[in-house]
Amino acid sequence: MSLAQAEAHELELEQPAGLWKDAVQRLKRNPGAIIGALLISMFVFLALFADVITSYGPGEQVGSLGGNGSPPSSEFWFGLDKQGRDYFSRVVYGARLSLLVGVVSVSVGLSIGLVLGSIAGYFGRWVDGLLMRIIDIMLAIPSFLLAIGLVTLLGRGLVQVMIAVGATQVPLFARLLRGGILAQKESDYVLAARSLGAPGPRLLLRHIIPNSLSPVIVQATLSMATAIIEVAALSFVGLGPSQPGLPEWGLMLADSASRLEQGLHLVLFPGIAIVLSTLGFNMVGDGLREALDPKLKS
Amino acid sequence: MSEPLLSVTDLEVRFKSRRGTIHAVNGISFDLRAGETLGIVGESGCGKSVTSLAMLGILPRQAYPADGSVMFGGRDLLRLKDQEMREVRGKDIAMIFQDPMTSLNPILTIGRQLTESLRRHLKMDKETAREEAVSLLDRVGISDAGDRLRSYPHQFSGGMRQRVMIAMAISCRPKILIADEPTTALDVTIQAQILELLKRLVSEEQMALILITHDLGVVAGVCDRTNVMYAGGFVETGATESLFATPRHPYTAGLLDSVPRLDASGKQRLVPIPGTVKTLMEKPTSCAFAPRCMYAVDESRREVPPLREIAPGHHVACFNPVPESDLPQGAITEAR
Amino acid sequence: MLRFVVRRLLQLIPILLGVSILLFAFVRALPGGPAIALLGERATEESVERIETELGLDQPIYVQYGRYVRNLVQGDLGTSTRSRQPVLEELKQKFPATVELAFAAMLFAIILGIPLGFLAAKRYLGFLDNASLFVSLIGISFPVFFLALLLKYVFAIKLGWLPTVGRVDVTRSIEHPTNFYLLDAVLTRDWEGVVDVLKHLVLPAIALGTIPLAIVARITRAAVLDVLNEDYVRTARAKGLDPSVVDRRHVMRNAMLPVVTVIGLQTGLLLTGAVLTETVFAWPGMGSWMLEAIRFRDYAVIQGGILFFALLVSLTNLAVDVSYAYLNPKIRLSR
Ligand SMILES: Nc1ncnc2c1ncn2[C@@H]1O[C@H](COP(=O)(O)OP(=O)(O)O)[C@@H](O)[C@H]1O
Ligand SMILES: [Mg+2]
Repeated sequence: MSLAQAEAHELELEQPAGLWKDAVQRLKRNPGAIIGALLISMFVFLALFADVITSYGPGEQVGSLGGNGSPPSSEFWFGLDKQGRDYFSRVVYGARLSLLVGVVSVSVGLSIGLVLGSIAGYFGRWVDGLLMRIIDIMLAIPSFLLAIGLVTLLGRGLVQVMIAVGATQVPLFARLLRGGILAQKESDYVLAARSLGAPGPRLLLRHIIPNSLSPVIVQATLSMATAIIEVAALSFVGLGPSQPGLPEWGLMLADSASRLEQGLHLVLFPGIAIVLSTLGFNMVGDGLREALDPKLKS
Repeated sequence: MSEPLLSVTDLEVRFKSRRGTIHAVNGISFDLRAGETLGIVGESGCGKSVTSLAMLGILPRQAYPADGSVMFGGRDLLRLKDQEMREVRGKDIAMIFQDPMTSLNPILTIGRQLTESLRRHLKMDKETAREEAVSLLDRVGISDAGDRLRSYPHQFSGGMRQRVMIAMAISCRPKILIADEPTTALDVTIQAQILELLKRLVSEEQMALILITHDLGVVAGVCDRTNVMYAGGFVETGATESLFATPRHPYTAGLLDSVPRLDASGKQRLVPIPGTVKTLMEKPTSCAFAPRCMYAVDESRREVPPLREIAPGHHVACFNPVPESDLPQGAITEAR
Repeated sequence: MLRFVVRRLLQLIPILLGVSILLFAFVRALPGGPAIALLGERATEESVERIETELGLDQPIYVQYGRYVRNLVQGDLGTSTRSRQPVLEELKQKFPATVELAFAAMLFAIILGIPLGFLAAKRYLGFLDNASLFVSLIGISFPVFFLALLLKYVFAIKLGWLPTVGRVDVTRSIEHPTNFYLLDAVLTRDWEGVVDVLKHLVLPAIALGTIPLAIVARITRAAVLDVLNEDYVRTARAKGLDPSVVDRRHVMRNAMLPVVTVIGLQTGLLLTGAVLTETVFAWPGMGSWMLEAIRFRDYAVIQGGILFFALLVSLTNLAVDVSYAYLNPKIRLSR
């Protein structure tokens, strides 16, 4: 090992490791974060074991078609919808869909954002200028409209919808990472490693990016919440994934919105599912933010 | 002797914190006479700022209400109603803070900040207050005072801002001025100017001054008496001259040894006191300095040493004071 | 200060140009391209060909873009394929509806959010603080359309206190000099109309304003907590100023700086929310207009609507920057 490598190695060890260990400790002491984690676990559980938990399939017709569905009962906990399907099953299967959509679209937004942000932050100058202008342009369009536009363009398959929602998150992540890299570039330990001859791209991959990650991780958690809501919103206005009978919470809300007079339960259950799942991610995101940024603690 | 202007008895301040109660100030007592200048010296974190904030009743919200008493004008300031205390603050007792860069409100003009106490306490109208502010800026050595009133803090240098802070503090002719490390954040050259200014104003206005610092060199030039503070308590108090000539507490002696001397001939040592001050999570039950002290005796580790008078007006809290013979000759007093 | 405003205005140009390029490319990337966009899906082949030559689609792309921008600058946003009306004319109807709703919602959010955040900060870690933190966390997690549905169910359907849809009762005719109905009713001194318009406005505005309310309260709380720890607040207290003066003059004024920024950043979110709220309350604004346009592939409307939204977002950002600079002498005096 060269001196530079040894030095860089040491820096690497002491930089993120301590921070993360502390962060986990702080997170464990934060009741909000714990409640949030429990909520998320609950939805992950529902998603994983939807087949076991429910007695009917999400599209299975168990009651009579037409009419306004029936209210909750001991047999059908959340009642039946107007197509005679067990509403509880649909809400539970909805967790599977929403989490999938959340994870995929955040991954899309995150990876494109990370690449663009690192390029901008690392190369600086006109590359940075150009990318940031593009991001400004994207930010000028309200993200929901951007998603609507993309769905119109790409079509309404599940994958397309996830890409559209993910694309709206690109600017956020790109900006975050760029900001982090710019700050890290000037930090003492990077200057030190550089002066010891550590090569640029390696420095970026092994030190700068990992150390810029904590706000990105916080944002990714919060973005899960945004993505879940955004997909539901697309469905709500009739622009969500177009497979018929898909147990999507937003779609379920839309289907029952016009029948509000006939009873609240068809709106209430999918709505609460959205609120609780996004609440979970928001609480964990907040907790992470506090845990990763010691400055915030007074 | 006349009645003291201010009489602090058994002042105690504690903070709530996540790790438990922090004992920042543990029962200090002192008197201040009209027109007197008193120095309070100690390392960072020993409780100097907390002491002064407690006297003014502006402790941060994490603090428990202070215990003890602070007698001023026949009243105990710690027991005054909020509204009564506000009449004292800024009018009878004023304060200057350590960091002039952050102690002024960045979005209000200097004029506004200067006139607000004048209007509050002396009930001046806008115009009178403005004129008074101009003459105050003049007195603290800021030229073009009239124009400067419209400036914002960021347009001033650190030294100038501290001058503004001083102008603000003396604006209502307080009887007591508390200056908490007024020069610590400034360049060395500016430090001397600001100290000179303080000295001059204090004597012109016949104010009593409590000068807080971690720098013995500062008190040497300014203060009649000096109290040395360690871990929330006074360990040695006395006339500045005798304290400097014959420091009897090992901590004071150590501090004096570690003062870098401007006139030092190359060989002069700079002896730091080994160790650091620890945050006190419990009220001390022994001499707080003992762990760092080469003079510590068994008793020091069992009991808190009380302040005892060992020479007229010279008090030491130590079971085993430094013998006078051990002291280095020709102490800092020369620096005066 | 003036130079600052002008410079920021100039910076808008490349952004809006960028948005226009994006929209231009968008329509060209659509299946069928602009001819279909103009004629609708069921256009015959001849008419498509005719319109393509008419539009100069056989010309180089930069010529086409040049023409598009020239039309935009002249205020020609094209013609709706559905209504056969100029897009700009429709916009003049729809835009005030959305702005009225968004404005009312923001007012609701600010008037309640700032005091709430301030009180929470003053009672730091106390009951009110924790309660408001929790409630605002739920607020942030609430999809606006769900909240809108709940409000509609409770106050319009169950209790019947407020109307369920629209901007004004269908049987009422008020004059529309501005298309801001509240303003219209006031201008024409139609007081019953004012009441009616307000009644229609309340639920959508609360639905749309609740999430911004939660965000404003959170930011205000954080900002006030920050400022309360500032040395200059201690200085102000050391002067013996009354707590109310310290709070107003020294704490709130400084805390407003981040709050203003965040309020401005809400515009995009607010417009998104408006689209959804309008759906629930059948509010005849930009949102329902554009969703309708998408359903009928009315691309001129989509293009015009998005461009207008982008303009709106950019202008509010500008307004925020300017007010930030105005509130912060360090920036105000340096430019
Ligand atoms: N806001 C606070 N919260 C908790 N503890 C505090 C706070 N302010 C001061 N302290 C404690 O009081 C002690 C004395 O602080 P201070 O008076 O500021 O020291 P100094 O002598 O440097 O002015 C510190 O060691 C610190 O532990
Ligand atoms: Mg201090």
